[in-house]
Amino acid sequence: MTPPIRRVVLDVLKPYEPDILEFTAAVADCESVDGVNAVLVETDREVQTLKLTIEGDDVDTDVVEGTVETVGGSVHSIDQVVCGDRLVEQSGTPQDR
Amino acid sequence: MDAIRTLLEDDDVRSISRRYFISNGFDGTLTSIGVVVGAYLSGVDEGLTVVTIGLGAAVGLGTSGVWSVWEIERAEKQAELMRIERAMLTDLEGTEVQERRKGARKINAVASGIGPLIGIVLPLVPFLGHGVVFSLLEATLVAVGVGVALLFTFGAYLGSISKQNWIVAGVRMGLAGIVVAILNLFLPG
Repeated sequence: MTPPIRRVVLDVLKPYEPDILEFTAAVADCESVDGVNAVLVETDREVQTLKLTIEGDDVDTDVVEGTVETVGGSVHSIDQVVCGDRLVEQSGTPQDR
Repeated sequence: MDAIRTLLEDDDVRSISRRYFISNGFDGTLTSIGVVVGAYLSGVDEGLTVVTIGLGAAVGLGTSGVWSVWEIERAEKQAELMRIERAMLTDLEGTEVQERRKGARKINAVASGIGPLIGIVLPLVPFLGHGVVFSLLEATLVAVGVGVALLFTFGAYLGSISKQNWIVAGVRMGLAGIVVAILNLFLPG
């Protein structure tokens, strides 16, 4: 059995409309998603880049990506994935300095 | 219904619809004032005839309002979508971004069509009372009054949303109705 995905961080490009409120609510509305944190990373003339941190007991990434595309966004990259029985935070190493 | 409510909450949709509504409403009201004054001066002796002529103008301007905006907004919104697609390097066909533009276009077209209908039909109402409540001259004067009041309302509304003095803005628009009525007096015949 595939271990459940607890957290996924996405780099998303979206038009101005729908706005960040509607966009985040649409992603949070996905059944497998417990909560979403959306941060505006960059604003361009026509588009915005968002960093979406999505958490749930078993996040269905296909559904999440599908929802992002339906509301007009496009997933540029998956920047972080946390999966397994519990949520593991990134640990610091000397190389991080 | 939810989709319509969401669209109506969108400032851009409201702003564009408002422009079409007021602009075409202004056209319609001035046309109506022209029709009623012209009809009276031409010696039309039945109120119902004036109403029929006015309704013809309403059909024309109403259709023009819906049709032209439908086509204008198709082009504008398609161009806008292509700009966003170029920026995103992706196809937005079938997404909410495209659906929203389709919905906005319908609202813009309806607002554009309703404006002239209201602008033409309201000043015609006094002619329905010809022979019962008003003489033809009275109906014409009341119709011009209704038209000017309508123009005043359009102006006052524009003044109120732009934080201008709504009375001055209303008077500025209402004045156009009086100018059209006076200009008609100088028509040949």
